[in-house]
Amino acid sequence: MKVVLQNLTKIFPSRNKKSGEEVVAVNDFNFEIPDGKLIGLLGPSGCGKSTTLYMISGLQKPTNGKIFFGDDDVTELPTEARGVGLVFQNYALYPHMSVKQNILFPLQNLKGKDKMTKEEMLERAVSAAKLVQIDDLMERKPSELSGGQQQRVAIARALVKMPRVLLLDEPLSNLDARLRLQTREEIRRIQKETGITTIFVTHDQEEAMSISDMIVVMKLGVVQQIGAPQDVYDNPVNLFVAKFLGTPPINVFEGRVAGEKLYIGEDAVLSVPGVADQEVYIGIRPEGFELNENGQLHCKLKNVEVMGRDVSIVSSNDASLNSIIRSIINADNKVDLSKEDITFSLKVHKVFIFNKENEERIYFEVN
Amino acid sequence: MEKNNKIMQEHNLQSVSAQQSVLKIVVKAGTYLFLGIMALIVLFPFYWMIISSLKSLEEYRENIPTLWPRVIIWSNYAEAFTEASLGQLFLNTAYVGIVSTLLSLVITVLSAFAFARLEFKGKNVLFAGLLATMMIPGELFTITNYATINQLGWMKTFTVLIVPFLVSVFYIYLLRQNFLQIPNELYLAAKVDGCGDLKYLWKVMVPLALPTLISITILKMMGAWNSYVWPRLVANDDAHRLITNGLRNAFTATTGDVNYPVQMAAVAIVSAPLFLVFIFLRKYIMKGVSRSGIKG
Amino acid sequence: MVDSKQQWKAWLYLSPAIILLLVFTVWPIINTVRLAFLEGYNALEATWGATYNVGIGNFTKVLGFREFKTCLVNTLLLTVLTVPISTILALLIAVALNSIKPLQKFLQTIFFLPYVTNSIAIGMVFAAMFNIIGLRPDGLNADSWGIINNVIMFFGGEPINWINANSGYWANIAVMTVYIVWNALPFKILILLGGLQSINKQYYDAAKVDGTPRRRVFTRITVPLLSPMLAYVFITGFIGGFKEYSSIVGIFGEKMGPVGDPYRLNTMVGYIYQVLPDTDYGVASAAALILFAIILLVTLINMQVSKKRVHY
Repeated sequence: MKVVLQNLTKIFPSRNKKSGEEVVAVNDFNFEIPDGKLIGLLGPSGCGKSTTLYMISGLQKPTNGKIFFGDDDVTELPTEARGVGLVFQNYALYPHMSVKQNILFPLQNLKGKDKMTKEEMLERAVSAAKLVQIDDLMERKPSELSGGQQQRVAIARALVKMPRVLLLDEPLSNLDARLRLQTREEIRRIQKETGITTIFVTHDQEEAMSISDMIVVMKLGVVQQIGAPQDVYDNPVNLFVAKFLGTPPINVFEGRVAGEKLYIGEDAVLSVPGVADQEVYIGIRPEGFELNENGQLHCKLKNVEVMGRDVSIVSSNDASLNSIIRSIINADNKVDLSKEDITFSLKVHKVFIFNKENEERIYFEVN
Repeated sequence: MEKNNKIMQEHNLQSVSAQQSVLKIVVKAGTYLFLGIMALIVLFPFYWMIISSLKSLEEYRENIPTLWPRVIIWSNYAEAFTEASLGQLFLNTAYVGIVSTLLSLVITVLSAFAFARLEFKGKNVLFAGLLATMMIPGELFTITNYATINQLGWMKTFTVLIVPFLVSVFYIYLLRQNFLQIPNELYLAAKVDGCGDLKYLWKVMVPLALPTLISITILKMMGAWNSYVWPRLVANDDAHRLITNGLRNAFTATTGDVNYPVQMAAVAIVSAPLFLVFIFLRKYIMKGVSRSGIKG
Repeated sequence: MVDSKQQWKAWLYLSPAIILLLVFTVWPIINTVRLAFLEGYNALEATWGATYNVGIGNFTKVLGFREFKTCLVNTLLLTVLTVPISTILALLIAVALNSIKPLQKFLQTIFFLPYVTNSIAIGMVFAAMFNIIGLRPDGLNADSWGIINNVIMFFGGEPINWINANSGYWANIAVMTVYIVWNALPFKILILLGGLQSINKQYYDAAKVDGTPRRRVFTRITVPLLSPMLAYVFITGFIGGFKEYSSIVGIFGEKMGPVGDPYRLNTMVGYIYQVLPDTDYGVASAAALILFAIILLVTLINMQVSKKRVHY
């Protein structure tokens, strides 16, 4: 089932009556989610990603715009008629019901022609439980389960009525680090097996990048960029997206363009054909540095962290906006720690320049 | 010399700690003695009620009272039952208690749900207004209610004993607080699961708030059982009289030469259901009461 | 979020409560105030079309009644006597209960027992305990002095005519005080013990490390930390005290006084119920408003005091 969001907008009336300022939680969101894909809505807290999810679920009504499931306009449809499954951040399992009762609950609410016999319901519940591998816990109460198990029950409950769209709200945030890795693979597996269009919300870019077919980066209610994770990483449209994606994060410098040359401090680091003279921000991915004694960028060496396959060189430069510059290079390169200075050359496709006023990307020709 | 000193010190320390432990024991013993005496005082009226209800009138009137009946007269109970027509009173009270409790629970649950989970204009103002009425003593309402009842022609009916007290702002408040503790996500999850409001209320909120609902039920039933002033005012006839009022009515004289054993038997019969509730449902009563401060 | 469907659903759910409250709570408040200021309002006359002047006549009339003054004095006296006594006693019992381990639950249950009683019924038991059977006219001899007098005499005291005909006013008040305190203890113990148990044990450990003596621990740690609960118990006690009625009916019967002196122990609430059936609603309303005013005043004073005294 493809999901289409058309000019989707959500405005909350102000909480403070005096100031009367409205809060635009989601502003003019347009997106067509292809059938059977796993989509990650990504952004810092307050960016409107959860609101978007809730609007798709029908728990919140959009102020403007339309939502389609396939060709059906579901904008005015109440939640229960939309056929969505939703997994809440804290799972929202009914504490007084057993795992089985929790999973059965959505089926028991079906009415009319969808109504099922007890046997059918049980069969469906068991197969949903098997899918998430909790079929041996059916008689337990939620309080007797670990966080990861509760998460699986919540997913089973969302899946049991075979929703047209599966929605997950910060599905991994309540799990510890080890479980998180495991569960995100699990979500990917379940999504692949069922083929249900799945949208999940997260503030963790690593999580989103690792399992999504496509990511949507949002900021303050406005969609910044949509694309495959690698594309967005390789080609951020603005400084915000560039900074938000990637660990370790991108290194940002203040610099300028003069005579089609890019300067960091006094170092002319790159030639940027077709770019007018101006002040700019420069973003360089950690893997965009190469050790080169004749390199153009001069930094002060601070430290070297060995990470096995790679080494991470920590240095500093007056033009850097962060206190340190982190560059990752192959461990085969030997770094002389006794030296105070270090020089790099830059990989041109790992360097992005941004307009200083609006922080939009400035593209230059790469030859 | 030094060695001696050390021994002396140790000796001192030992005696100090011995003194302290003696003091501790004395304090403990004193505490238990105090509590024991107070407990006896608290229990004494119940003891006196029971033994008096089992004595013959002659034994009760003896100059030096006996602390246990020489001959146990069970017939006092039968006599009390017929003399005060307790059977009829029991039925009346049970009817009023059950009907008013059930209706009251429905009203309370619906209102608490609206206040806890639904959004509507004027919610906070309305809720504050309700709470404000709790400050006003019930006697202020009685006068007009008495007139209203008169006009409606409800005097001497069961309706008049049930309807005016169906809404308890306090119970609505108590249950709303309980409902608010249930995470809102459950409500949203139920909506996603295709569960309507009333079904959600019945299937999720009511089971989760069951302890509070049980507390409310017990306190409400006890309220019907113990209510005296209003029933006496508006339904003081044989067909509608409630138990407390009936008891007072059957034994008007409290002092002088009264047939106390029978009277005490009647009192014991009236108290028995309360004791049973107390023994089996004490937990719920104490929980409800400690949050309320009202006497049922 | 506020959609119209939720709006009317909410009002639908609330409608039974709101309708009942409008009829039996809101209207009475308005009407009682109205009636209190219609001078000499009488329901029976009003149905015949009598009209009334607006004024404070009902209030001056009520305050002028000797019976009302008796009620006022009785109510104040009983409240002032019973609230401090029961609070202090409850505090002592709660602290004692909190300091023991074995039997704590058992004793706690016993102390809560009087709560689930019927104040009319147990009042009759108290009456039986204080009653004298067959008192001779000279007052020196009787068939049975009653268990309380038996105990007094056992310790060498003189028997007292507590509640019978020709009994003294203060003897009556003493009996009422005992009964009301007995009745009030369970609630207060429950609340105070709950408060004590929620005090962090670390404070006591800290005091122990500092070698604080027992008495100082009580006055400097326990009472201050318990002060919100004490204030709560005090305020509810006062409100309850001003509404005292059925405990007196329990002991003295509906005549509210010993034989030969009816309504000697009548209270404010008792007065309102006494005048109601006479359809003198104006006077009754004025009396109810005076009661409300007193309760409000005392509550406000209490809250003001406890604001200063309650330590956190």
